[in-house]
Amino acid sequence: MSSVILMKVLESSPKRYDRGMKILFFGNLDQIYDRLISDIQKGQKVLDIGCGTGALILKAAQRGAQVKGIDINAQMLEVAKEKAEQWGLEQMTEFQEKGVSELDKEEEASYDAVTSGLCFSELSEDEIRYALRHIKRILKKDGLLLIADEVRPQNILRKIIHWLIKIPLWIVTYIGTQTSTRAVRNLPDKIKQTGFLIERMRFNSIRDFMELKARNRKDKAE
Amino acid sequence: MRIVKYILVSIFETLLRFFPMPCKTGLREFGNPGPDSPVFLTCNYHLTVERVKRALKGMDCYLLVANSRGINVWCGAAGGHLNNHRVVSVLKTSGIEERVNHRSVILPQLAGPGVEPRAVRKKAGWSIIWGPVYAKDIPAFMEKKGEKNQEMRGVKFPPLQRIEMAVMWAFPLSVTAGLLTSLFWPRMNLSLNVFIWVFSFFVFLAFPLYSKWLLWRKFEFLRVSAFLWGTFLVGLLVYSVLLHSFDGKFWLWWGVVSLLVICLLSVDLAGSTPVYKSGLHEDRFFKVVLDKNKCRAAGCCEQVCPRNCFEVDRSHHTARMPRASQCVQCGACIVQCPFDALWFENQKGEKISPETIRKFKLNLMGQRALGMD
Ligand SMILES: C[S@@+](CC[C@H](N)C(=O)[O-])C[C@H]1O[C@@H](n2cnc3c(N)ncnc32)[C@H](O)[C@@H]1O
Ligand code: SF4
Ligand code: SF4
Repeated sequence: MSSVILMKVLESSPKRYDRGMKILFFGNLDQIYDRLISDIQKGQKVLDIGCGTGALILKAAQRGAQVKGIDINAQMLEVAKEKAEQWGLEQMTEFQEKGVSELDKEEEASYDAVTSGLCFSELSEDEIRYALRHIKRILKKDGLLLIADEVRPQNILRKIIHWLIKIPLWIVTYIGTQTSTRAVRNLPDKIKQTGFLIERMRFNSIRDFMELKARNRKDKAE
Repeated sequence: MRIVKYILVSIFETLLRFFPMPCKTGLREFGNPGPDSPVFLTCNYHLTVERVKRALKGMDCYLLVANSRGINVWCGAAGGHLNNHRVVSVLKTSGIEERVNHRSVILPQLAGPGVEPRAVRKKAGWSIIWGPVYAKDIPAFMEKKGEKNQEMRGVKFPPLQRIEMAVMWAFPLSVTAGLLTSLFWPRMNLSLNVFIWVFSFFVFLAFPLYSKWLLWRKFEFLRVSAFLWGTFLVGLLVYSVLLHSFDGKFWLWWGVVSLLVICLLSVDLAGSTPVYKSGLHEDRFFKVVLDKNKCRAAGCCEQVCPRNCFEVDRSHHTARMPRASQCVQCGACIVQCPFDALWFENQKGEKISPETIRKFKLNLMGQRALGMD
């Protein structure tokens, strides 16, 4: 499932993106995202960071949450808006062309949950630090941070398997789009250091994909 | 030692020029910078960063490396990788705001097709100063307190850069050819590689001699490939005459193989140079149009145009395009014009609006994702 790289090919053409993701994740992504947002309830306010074509955030809207998706790619957002319209979710959804560096414009303690699917792996170290700090600020007390993303396996054997799958994909992507990504390093640690309480972590078998649920503890000393 | 490393890195990355080479993003310091020191910004293409580092040596300043996915400034900006968001992001997340008192950042001029000063100011509160095209001009640019002459504003295609282009083409071609010949015609391995290298150098070094007659005219691809193939066949003929050998198989092999290589080289010869527009771009039949009624002589176009197409006539409060024929259609002027006085238009009167050009960038195949359907 270590295919974040191939996603680059898809991202360069948002129209193909959704179909490509289905193939890449053998249709599992749907399940993963369903599980990830299973704690979100009707009427809650949710922010999705790097929403892309809306795969994750529209699920939250279907559960009755009031959602906002931000992404820096205008074309992906067009697709997301179109889908929201088709599914009759316009009332529940809002999309803005914004990057994580504009999270400082969001109001303090205003969200019940912040979600992000496959976006942290595209951020720089500086951006991750900045994003986590502001996510903590804009989440309500006991609000949830829900992330699904590529991570780096720790175990040496898994590392080898990970790279065996990854290198051919790297080459394909390099030729196709001349870009590449790297999986996030030590994301759980960074989340803990920011002052979140990690409640659940779930890995795939090669341990290069992670689902994470963390809670914002405002009162607790960091 | 540093210089040796620089040279080795340059050679290595020139060989792999076709591929992006990302390096770490974020803030870097040079000398002993203080709160008033200048702030520069560049892309995260490794070779570019190395060049900027050399140019900044001896200065007290900051350098911000923005995420352009490892692509160079011009291609990154035109392709949508070096954009407003990436600039805003490094300004706000790198910690530079705590280091300096001022809020102005110097960008390479070639970021013009992708980065809009107005958007960056609105989102991050920083103003953009357009620096020179080439990093090596930075010291002179600073000495003149940010004045740029025409020289510093224009892209050039000097021999050194032409050699780089020759290497950029020759290396992947020769690796591929080497693999194929080793498998099928081991005896031809050496000669084919020699041919690829010599011929690539010929194509790019002789570029100024023939480019005027061949590029940006009708049937460009045919003209270029016919010219190059013709040249090669004449060379082959001379060789055969000198050796008195006319072997049919030999001619067939070289004729076909050279044609293949030449076709690859001439698919977008214009596009691999900075001084001709690419023959692949969807916009290639469009021209920059200037609406004198909308123009208020702001002069942004003149500042960013890497071909010096514009001249601002302050006394008549308007810009003119005396050198419009040099345009390479980078779109920078259109993106930058604060009054939307510029756009692309073709002979049929179809337009590409400034808004579209700002929002949708060119993908690798030179297509702008116009609309979503
Ligand atoms: C692989 S897509 C994932 C999209 C969606 N969450 C999904 O699962 O289908 C990653 C998205 O992150 C966005 N992104 C990258 N850098 C970003 C940044 N700094 N701020 C916000 N979004 C960003 C990209 O534009 C892209 O749409
Ligand atoms: S940038 Fe626009 S308004 Fe300014 S001189 Fe050029 S065309 Fe005229
Ligand atoms: S006139 Fe042509 S070359 Fe100059 S900035 Fe505009 S598009 Fe680019």
